[in-house]
Amino acid sequence: MKRYYYERELPNIEKFYVPLSKRASVRDVVSIGFGLFVVSYLVVFFVISITNSFIKDPMEIDISRMFLPPSLEHLFGTDYLGRDIFSRIVKGTEAFFIPGIISISISTTFGLLFGIVSGYYAKYFSKIIFYFLNIIDSIPRIILILLIIVLFNPSIYLIMAFVGFSSIPKVSSYIKSKVDVLKRQHFIEAGKSLGLSESSLIFKHIVWLSSKSVLVIQATLGLGETVLIETSLSYLGIGVQEPIPSWGNMVAMGKDFFFQGKIWLSTIPALVIMFTIMGLYLLGDGLNSIYNEKVSR
Amino acid sequence: MVRFLKHFFKELFGMLFLVVGVTAILYLIFNLMPGEFPGKGRGFEGYVNLLRRLFTFRFGTSIVSGRDINSIVFPAFRNTLILTIGSIFLSVMISVPIGIFSAFRGFETYSWPLSILTYLLSSIPVFYLGYLSLYLVSRYTGYLPIFYPHGAERGNPVLSYVLPILVLGFGNESISEIVRLISNELRRVMNTKYVTASKARGEPMLRSSFHEGLLIPLVSIIFSKVPFIIGGAVIVEYVFNWPGMGRLAFQSTLDRDLPVLIVITFLSVICVRSGMLIKEMLLLFIDPERRA
Repeated sequence: MKRYYYERELPNIEKFYVPLSKRASVRDVVSIGFGLFVVSYLVVFFVISITNSFIKDPMEIDISRMFLPPSLEHLFGTDYLGRDIFSRIVKGTEAFFIPGIISISISTTFGLLFGIVSGYYAKYFSKIIFYFLNIIDSIPRIILILLIIVLFNPSIYLIMAFVGFSSIPKVSSYIKSKVDVLKRQHFIEAGKSLGLSESSLIFKHIVWLSSKSVLVIQATLGLGETVLIETSLSYLGIGVQEPIPSWGNMVAMGKDFFFQGKIWLSTIPALVIMFTIMGLYLLGDGLNSIYNEKVSR
Repeated sequence: MVRFLKHFFKELFGMLFLVVGVTAILYLIFNLMPGEFPGKGRGFEGYVNLLRRLFTFRFGTSIVSGRDINSIVFPAFRNTLILTIGSIFLSVMISVPIGIFSAFRGFETYSWPLSILTYLLSSIPVFYLGYLSLYLVSRYTGYLPIFYPHGAERGNPVLSYVLPILVLGFGNESISEIVRLISNELRRVMNTKYVTASKARGEPMLRSSFHEGLLIPLVSIIFSKVPFIIGGAVIVEYVFNWPGMGRLAFQSTLDRDLPVLIVITFLSVICVRSGMLIKEMLLLFIDPERRA
C-alpha cells in the first residue's frame, strides 16, 4: 500500500491516503501545467531539430533579409546574417538537451547512491562521504567549470557531466534526511522481521515507494539549472561556439545591436530562456508542494 | 561562552580540514594533466609546498602579466565582496516582505501574482538583465555611470556600484527560493500552539513567530547562497566590466593563467567555508535547540 506523510497538516496521523487531485490546489495545478507545457515544447523542439523537419535551415545565410522584425514568415525575425531566429531557437535545444539529461542522470544516480549509503549505514559511512561531498560543495560551480575548461579544454558534454557532479551533494543530503526519517518507521521494522532482504527493503520500500518524488523534483530543478549554466557559458563564449546555435550565444550575438534599437535579436532568446527556466522551477515547486517534500534548489 | 568558543574552534578545524581536502583534490587533478605548469609538483612534498605557498599568501607571479598575484587579486577580491554583500542585502530586502505577506495571506488574492513575479525575477537570465538595465539607464536617464571608472579622474565610485548591485540582487535566482522558504516556515510557525497562545494574549503574531519563523530560516539560507552569488558575480562582472574576482577568473581562463585561477579558487573556497562558519555560529546564538 502506498504511504503518504502529512507531518505539516496532520501531525498525529501517520497513515493517510488522499488522492492527488484533492491535494493539489489551483496554484499547484497552474504551475505544474505551465511546467508540463515547457517540458513538452522542449521535447517537441528537440525532436524537430534532430529530424530536421518543419523548419527553415538554421544555418542558411541570406544577406537580403537582414534584421527583419518578427512577422508571419519569420516568426521571431531574422538576425544580422539573415538567419531565421525561430529555427535557430528550435535548433538551440540540441545544445543543452542531451548534456542536461547526462548531468541530471549523474547527479540523481550518485546522489541516490551516496544518500542511501550514508543514511542507511550512517554508523560507518556518513562522516567520510559527507566530507567528500562538502569538498565538492565548497567550490563555487562556475569557478569549478572555469578550472575544468582551463585544464581539459572540454566539450559541452564533459562540462555538463561536471555540473552533474557538482550537484551531487544537494541530492544526497535530501535523500539522506529522507532515509533517516524512513528507517525508523514501523513498516521497515515489519519488513525486517518478515525477513525481507536488505536490497528489497532499500530499493523497493525506501527508494521506489517513498523517495522517488525527491528524485523527480531534483531532476526538474537540475534541468533548469543546466539550462541556465549552458546559456551562461555560451554567452561568455566558452560553451557552444557561434555557428552552432545556442540560446546563450544568440543573446550574446544580439546584444551588439541592442543600442541600435533592434532589441528582438537578443530579447526573444532571453525570453525563451526565461520561460523555460521559470517553467522548470515552477514544475519542481508544484511537485514539491503536492508531495510535501522540503526540497529546494 | 566556553560552549561557543569550543564550537567555534571545532568548526574552524573542520573548515581548515576541508580547505586542505579541496587543495588536495585540485593537486590531484593538476597532476593528472600532461605538461608542465605551476601548481604541479612531485609527490607529497610538492603538495606541502603548494599548501605552504597558499596559506602564507605568497602566491607567486602571474604567467601572463608577470605581476605579483597579491597585487592583482586582493583589490579584485574587495570589489567582489562589495558586490556580493550588497546584492545579498538587496535580495533579502526584496524577498522578506513578499514572504511575510504571502505567509499571512496564504497564497490568496495578491500574493499569488507576487510569488509569480518573484519566479519571473529569479529566472531572468542575469546577462540579459544587465544589458537591459544598461540600455534603459544610459538611453533614457543618465544619472548612473554604466561602467567602473578607472584612472585619475574616477570621480565618485560609489555611484557606479549601484547598477551592478541592483542587477545581481534581482537576478541571482535566490529571491523566489527565499520567498518560498520564508512563507512556508512562517506559516508553519504561525500554526503552532505557542503562537496561538500569544495571539490569544493579544500580542502581534509577527513578533511571536519572528524568531523561529523568520530569523532562523533566513540566516540558514543566506549563507548557503554564497557560492551561487559568487557564480552570478562572474557574469555580472563580465557584463559591467567590473574589476572583480569573477572577471579576473574569466580573463585568466581565456589566458590559461593557472596560478591566478588557483588563487581565485582558493579564495572563493575560503569565502564559502567562512560563510558556513559564520552561519553555524549565528545559528548557535539564535537557535536554542542547537547544542554545541
